[in-house]
Amino acid sequence: MSDPEDIQRRFEELEAGRILGDLDAQERLEWEELAKDPRCRADLSLEFTAAAIETEFLPPRAEPLPATTLEHLRRDMARFVSPPPAGSPAERRFVWPGMFSNPQTAWAVAALFAILFAAKALLQFPANGTVKPAVATLSPEEARDILLRQAGDLVQSDFKGTDAFGQMSGKVIWSDQLQEGYLTLTRLAANTPSVSQYQLWIVDPSRDEEPVDGGVFDIPPDRETTVIRIRNPLAVNDPKAFVITLEQPGGVVVSKQEVVVAIAKTS
Amino acid sequence: MQDCISRYGGLVWSIAERHVRDRSSTEDVVQETFTDLWKSANRYNPAIATEVTFIGMLARRRAIDFVRKASRRPQLEPLCPSDTLHHPDSMRSDAVRWEGEAARKALKQLPPDTQELFFLHFDEGMTHPEISEKTGLPLGTVKTRLRRGLIEVRDILRRTGGSQPSIPSLS
Repeated sequence: MSDPEDIQRRFEELEAGRILGDLDAQERLEWEELAKDPRCRADLSLEFTAAAIETEFLPPRAEPLPATTLEHLRRDMARFVSPPPAGSPAERRFVWPGMFSNPQTAWAVAALFAILFAAKALLQFPANGTVKPAVATLSPEEARDILLRQAGDLVQSDFKGTDAFGQMSGKVIWSDQLQEGYLTLTRLAANTPSVSQYQLWIVDPSRDEEPVDGGVFDIPPDRETTVIRIRNPLAVNDPKAFVITLEQPGGVVVSKQEVVVAIAKTS
Repeated sequence: MQDCISRYGGLVWSIAERHVRDRSSTEDVVQETFTDLWKSANRYNPAIATEVTFIGMLARRRAIDFVRKASRRPQLEPLCPSDTLHHPDSMRSDAVRWEGEAARKALKQLPPDTQELFFLHFDEGMTHPEISEKTGLPLGTVKTRLRRGLIEVRDILRRTGGSQPSIPSLS
């Protein structure tokens, strides 16, 4: 086989087999040899063709990704971005018009998202307690205000206290993209941490029938308004409600909802 | 990136699951695919392929590579490293933008028996030996028809893709 057209034809057939995943060992060796031959031209056209066919035939997946996979992906992606130049326009823009519609801008924005994710991950999973991300120095009020200014997908809802807590008011803000949120609670009765603690629950039917733990917190006696950062160990994708309960010190894994303090519905 | 995971996570999972057929391995392939995506996203050219096709291609690579490595064949180089996307030739193409609907239309121009093989492979998710068993065709025939069919679909897309955006070089 010395005709360049024959060689190219054979190479393309093997290339198609490689893309379809059906090369046997001998064919694989032949493909490797031909791939080095300058008379053989390779591009991505067959791979794109196979991908276009496969994605066209695939039925849409109804259920969300497993929570463990989502967690791994979110932690993993922070390793692949670097900080955008300080003061660049992208740093101040939190628009996401389409991931690849303008790759440079979109990925600069993505980099900032990932930095915030990384900071959050470090806050939740400190490495031997030696890593102190910059955001750790922010007060909850400051961090909340930054989120209010920057998140493009902010969910906001007002808390309504139950009968025994009717005097309280509050607001929750939450960003799915950043997996970050805050409670601003006013006139909620101070608790004695050694006796009981408040606990937040996030209702997200898209991920689980059971509410997700949003963290245990205290209300100090000397402040009318307290800002609490939501600390969700599991990913939340589409919260429908936020519920505050009063629980034993340290909180509980599953709430009996004996003392429901307040509820904020997002839809 | 978060949006990307939300939008395409299901697609990547489905492709991985179809090829790998094992939940634990599927999770590995999904993670590896997104790692590839973060590394190569700046090389994506929307004039050449849709986001779905581009990400689908990365997922297929990872899944097929995983299956190949798991099949106890001699250890070989990675199927096609992401770096090849950077090579000018790797993105050389005609005035075609690869996307699913056009591919489906092109498939309909193949002989009916070849269309059936594509349907069994891509829609039913059957392996080539499974197709061979179901259709009674020799395995070699199944492989040859699918390979040549894929090349033919590519050529049809190239012939009919004249109205699509031209492809700039990535170099």
